Amino acid sequence: MTLPRRSFFQFLARGTGAIVASWAVVKGISATVFREVLPARSVAPTNQKWVMVIDLAKCDGCRDCTRACGAMHFVPPMQEWVKVFEVVDNPAAGRYFLARPCMQCDNPPCVRGCPVGATFKRTDGIVMMDQERCIGCRNCIAQCPYSARAFNWGEPPHTAAELSQPYSMEYNYPHRKGVVEKCIFCPHMLRQGKLPACAQGCKMGAVYFGDELEDAVTNSKGETIPFTKIAKRGAAFRLLEELGTEPRVYYLPPASRKYPTPDEKKALEMHS
Amino acid sequence: MISKREAHLLSTLTVASPRFYQWIAFLLAVVLWGLYAYVHQLRQGLIVTGMRDEISWGLYITNFVFFIGISHAGTLISAILRVTETEWRRPITRLAEAITVFALCIGAPMVIIDLGRPDRMLNLFRYGRIQSPILWDVLSVSTYLTGCILYLYLPMIPDFALLADQASLGAWRRRLYKKLSLGWTGSAAQWTLLERAISIMAVVIIPLAISVHTVVSWIFAMTLRPGWNSSIFGPYFVVGAIYSGAAAVIFSMFVLRRVLRLQDYLEPVHFRNLGLLLLSFAMLYLYFNINEYLTMGYKFEGIEKEYLTRLFFGDYAPMFWTVQAIGVFLPLVLLIAVLGLRSHTSLTIPGVALASFLAIIGAWAKRYLIVVPTLSSPFLPGQRIPWEWTHYRPTWVEWSVTAAAVAVFLLIYGLFSKLFPMVSIWETRDPEPAASEAAPAASPSSNWGSISSIPVVLLTLALAGAGTAHAGESHKPRKPAPTALSLEWQALPADKLSASSAEDGPPDSFTAGRVQNGLSQLFGHLSFGSKSAEEEKPPSIISLKAILKDERGAPVAMQPVSFSLRTSFGLVQYGSRPTNEEGKAELIVRDHRYGKYPLLVAYGGDDSFAGARAEIPVDFGARPAPALPTAGVLIAPYATAAIGLPFVMFYGFMWLVFIYAFGYLILWRMRRSAQDKQPH
Repeated sequence: MTLPRRSFFQFLARGTGAIVASWAVVKGISATVFREVLPARSVAPTNQKWVMVIDLAKCDGCRDCTRACGAMHFVPPMQEWVKVFEVVDNPAAGRYFLARPCMQCDNPPCVRGCPVGATFKRTDGIVMMDQERCIGCRNCIAQCPYSARAFNWGEPPHTAAELSQPYSMEYNYPHRKGVVEKCIFCPHMLRQGKLPACAQGCKMGAVYFGDELEDAVTNSKGETIPFTKIAKRGAAFRLLEELGTEPRVYYLPPASRKYPTPDEKKALEMHS
Repeated sequence: MISKREAHLLSTLTVASPRFYQWIAFLLAVVLWGLYAYVHQLRQGLIVTGMRDEISWGLYITNFVFFIGISHAGTLISAILRVTETEWRRPITRLAEAITVFALCIGAPMVIIDLGRPDRMLNLFRYGRIQSPILWDVLSVSTYLTGCILYLYLPMIPDFALLADQASLGAWRRRLYKKLSLGWTGSAAQWTLLERAISIMAVVIIPLAISVHTVVSWIFAMTLRPGWNSSIFGPYFVVGAIYSGAAAVIFSMFVLRRVLRLQDYLEPVHFRNLGLLLLSFAMLYLYFNINEYLTMGYKFEGIEKEYLTRLFFGDYAPMFWTVQAIGVFLPLVLLIAVLGLRSHTSLTIPGVALASFLAIIGAWAKRYLIVVPTLSSPFLPGQRIPWEWTHYRPTWVEWSVTAAAVAVFLLIYGLFSKLFPMVSIWETRDPEPAASEAAPAASPSSNWGSISSIPVVLLTLALAGAGTAHAGESHKPRKPAPTALSLEWQALPADKLSASSAEDGPPDSFTAGRVQNGLSQLFGHLSFGSKSAEEEKPPSIISLKAILKDERGAPVAMQPVSFSLRTSFGLVQYGSRPTNEEGKAELIVRDHRYGKYPLLVAYGGDDSFAGARAEIPVDFGARPAPALPTAGVLIAPYATAAIGLPFVMFYGFMWLVFIYAFGYLILWRMRRSAQDKQPH
């Protein structure tokens, strides 16, 4: 088959036209479908970037944070939104306690994987959780490397105080069956200018909380320290940094501890 | 017109033995029991399952992956054989395609059964985020199911017309067949259209089938978990799916051949050929298994250590090695023995069927081993939690629902075999004159910068010292004299004081920001910079001057003045500085801070001077506009084009092809041509 030059040019022109036209259509569609507008709920009430610093040198593993959190959010039994782990990095190293709230990652795998936007990132850095939208697929639990998420497998036991309030995403109760829950940095407390429950509840003052843009973090004892200073001086690290989740929770290493270590604590308990 | 073997095939539609009814009754009982278990689960919640926070996916997800895998064979094998015009395929395409459709019908609802809130299922459409692998699944499985139903239905049309003419079948059945035949008359024009539609579907169903199981694997591979975080998961799943699916086709051939006595259609050659296919996929699957576990096991490092220990030597080891032996190795040996050794040719059919059965069982157990052990080896293993949380054991509810799922599959398959011939009649006839060549379809395919150092902003604020100064002249001169503090601040240019701040200077970050902005138009929050905006900002350098004077305006020297800043939750203490001879105390603050804050300065006072305080708002520069973190990839609440477009385009194209092949060619043109013919 021979192709006359003229029809070849016609072919080229038509082809180009078709490509240009389809590109315009794709662009038009993507401009309407893929809009970059933040919905209202993604915009936080204040223009702040919350950050938490947990000083492991001050953490004696008393689990006051877990209890304070549980009391504030009426966390169902068997769930711990702030969980205290006993960590041993290697056989030679001593043990230390590590409190793990939700890391409120800046690159959150749970948000990426949520099919319905029930968990979403807010402009103040909090990874929110909407129990009214959650379908209970538990993909976020599979995604979260920190195991910071819990699921209401059955109907959670209720208390009168919990049920007296209408549901709010800001405090995540009354609890419901079949949805995922997690630590959300107590947005309802932040609204009132108060520290989250765990920071307030930590008698050791190990949990510092504040606004990164303000460059200040405060603990339960009212000690306020510039965040950059505490992070730099203290050589702060983030949990599982290598995963690239960019957590908003920083840890200060458990150096020069002034309370019994987990091992010593155990020995003391054995003697008494 | 109807040959002897066709007459027998037709008789399978009408004759049913008592054992058939017993079998159906048994299956119905299992289904009802499963239904009871599911209702129990709906009322009580997933607490009645063995799943807990640690191992949050179990049998249901295993079943989902298993059934989607089983669904792979049918259509894919049939499509490949059709596209390559392989002649021996003719008797097996329909029973293979039926497996696909029914396995999908069972597999897809498994995810819904697994949902904590199935009542909110429609949220997937109301609020669906294309960035989530779950939504990819919804998109791909629904497209695949539609395609497979059409692909099963199209080649049945001529058979429907033929069946509608059979007087031996009941009246209601014949009416049903007549409806389903869409006015098929068997004219040359209709044959052309049908063959065209079938071959178009056969071509597109191949990439579609491969995409579906890849997407299923991505639910796992898109996580960070050990054992799932693997780039090979897509092809690994696809090969595993075809392997288990081919086994399902062979096993159903074996059963149908015996039960419906289809020896005339399903000959040893079919078992031999499909057995060879199974053998090659068993080898391929073995290769993928070795590749997957050897690359992890050789290094035995990091987070995978715990996972592999449990899998290779720990509590999952007995199951793991049994599955590898029964699901892969044994079928391999068996197939080589019956297909490779000439002395064993008489055993081809039972041998291949047995190998298939083992492969199916192994495939299910392998899916379980993919889902559960990974979840039981998290990065932060749970502490102070019940033993059952970390050692998943399915409950009776899960087993009942699983049994019911298998029963439903067998039930539909059994009923289908009674309602429709399991072997295509027209395709297995001797050369059809009207068949024309088919044309396969062609497939396409803020920066708000560093705070430009505010030149000089001077705010002077003087607050009267605590007015405790009552002129008590009568008292001793010991009475402290009132003082006043005045305070001023100045933002210094960034490069003046610090050499270190020069290294994160703005010029590069400005252009980088622009490039990123341009790309983010297309990619949304698929950012390329890992540096967050806060880090790029050099510290604001604020020079503070407090002047302490007494009531006569004379400077008070050598007195400590303390500085602090009021932030949201507390005071940042900057410590004290002494005043000099001019009563001036200076402090330079270099903090990475934004916004306006009250700066407090206080003088505690001593015996001769009373204390004083002053407050002044200090501006560290405007806060950045509220935005989602640039470090977040694909976390936007809106659809992101970079992920959305490929999916929408791929599956959208599939839907367009379906509309063309079925809607236009069959429903529109073929039916019209039938209506034109009817009047004469």
